[in-house]
Amino acid sequence: MRASATFALMLLALLTGALTRADPPPPLQAEQLTVAQLPPASPHWVYVFDEAFDNEIDARVDLFDGDSYRRLGQIDAGFVPGVNLSPDGKTTVVATTYFARGSRGTRTDVVEFTDNTTLAVTHEIVLPSKRAETVPSLFNVAYSADGHFVYAAYITPAASFGVLDPVHGTVLGEIDTAGCQLVIPSGPNRVSSLCESGRMLTVTLDEHGHESGRAMSEQFFDTDRDPVFAQGIPTPSGYAFLSFLGEVHEVDLRGPQPVFAAPWPLVSGAEKGVWRPGGVQVGAIHRSLGRLYVPMHKGGEGTHKDGGTEIWVFDLASHRRLARWQVRPQGLAPVLAVQVSQDAAPILFAATTASDVAVFDALSGQLRHIEKHLGQTPWMLLN
Amino acid sequence: MRSLDRLFEESSRSLARRTSRRSLLAGLGQILTGAALLPLLPLERGNRAQAAGSKAAVDDPQSCDYWRYCAIDGFLCACCGGTTTSCPPGTAPSPITWIGTCHNPADGRHYMVSYNDCCGKTSCGNCACNRNEREKPTYRPSRNNDLNWCMANADSNYHCSVSVVLGPVPPGT
Repeated sequence: MRASATFALMLLALLTGALTRADPPPPLQAEQLTVAQLPPASPHWVYVFDEAFDNEIDARVDLFDGDSYRRLGQIDAGFVPGVNLSPDGKTTVVATTYFARGSRGTRTDVVEFTDNTTLAVTHEIVLPSKRAETVPSLFNVAYSADGHFVYAAYITPAASFGVLDPVHGTVLGEIDTAGCQLVIPSGPNRVSSLCESGRMLTVTLDEHGHESGRAMSEQFFDTDRDPVFAQGIPTPSGYAFLSFLGEVHEVDLRGPQPVFAAPWPLVSGAEKGVWRPGGVQVGAIHRSLGRLYVPMHKGGEGTHKDGGTEIWVFDLASHRRLARWQVRPQGLAPVLAVQVSQDAAPILFAATTASDVAVFDALSGQLRHIEKHLGQTPWMLLN
Repeated sequence: MRSLDRLFEESSRSLARRTSRRSLLAGLGQILTGAALLPLLPLERGNRAQAAGSKAAVDDPQSCDYWRYCAIDGFLCACCGGTTTSCPPGTAPSPITWIGTCHNPADGRHYMVSYNDCCGKTSCGNCACNRNEREKPTYRPSRNNDLNWCMANADSNYHCSVSVVLGPVPPGT
């Protein structure tokens, strides 16, 4: 029996070999080199601003999908850029600087427009060499609500801003803001700026982009005792500005002059001065749900750029804190930037000091994914 | 806008001279400014300060814990071929700056410190350091370390930052 079994096995092996030899796998087909096409835009896309701090002439924006966890493409962004999206989300605007010899040589400031369906640059507008070179915010470069104008903040360090026509690719003019900085857009033709005095300057433009009026508000925060972060968070009626100590200043910008709501605290009396907001992009708001997400940390004076060890969730209507989500036990470094999608099944994105971007269920706080090293220094998230 | 710029620059310097426990320093600062001085650089270096805190680190120009770096934001020039008061070879100091106030544990005094940027080469990339004592947002430029203070240089690329002691803060200010 043993000899028979051995013989049978040998026969099987021979037959198998013969079959294999007789039926080799088909050769690989010749391939076509193509350029990948983006899928249709998704509310769960996020544009990740990467300052590339260790080599700052090479900043970029990575487009990341919060559902598939894939990088979809990249937009180049030059040196210490300002980045924003058009109101319809179809265009990314990058205000940046290039040097003629790479890292040196003649400086050219320029605003570049990228088609978000192809990630190709469509056109540009050359600026005077005055562009604000500072940390990212939504107010370094911004669109008017109707997309008719683009505003570019200038700091030399004298403060002013440029008014651009994004369709015709022209600079329409420059408006002096007398010590008030950044471009906070509202409506089709107004630009507000934060002032050293704790006030807000609002300039109204005519149809040609020229100044037709200006108004200086009353002081709405104390720039010495408790300044607000310059990174405002869009609300349905304007923006919310968080202070270093955790006060929320909601500003209604629907009229020719800003209207300031009474500030309310993120922290209790016992928490004040102990827990505080910090980072670069210090808050995100889901506008229809009325939820505010803030990276919070324990720390004293001078820690306002420290990342959050927790994300606190607030109800904007009641000012009630709904949740505290700890990030460290979930393997995350402190959070420097947050953004939330605006759909009915929202995602909260959080960029960390370890350059990771986390994806949370924005309703439950469940951590869905950590994308490791999404860029070098991801400091702002746009959608 | 150029005249406006000059005007603002002058008023900024004037403000810097008046603000934050200064006065004495103003005169001192002016002298230094004329010599080389100014600015600091900026750009948020989120959470890049190295932890240490030891006494040695407080006196080490290549440590982010060095006392005079209390509000610096950038790469330490002492790690890039320069020192705390000199730019690396081939770079140029920025002609505008902002000023912080730091406590020197060695003598118990507070000092005015000018955080100048060194410009004209790409990022040094070594010894990133971000500390923010008494630092304020961009809309207070004389107290802000987020701006690229190389902005007014012929070559405005940012390389690293120095910290130049301008003088002690006068008592009672």
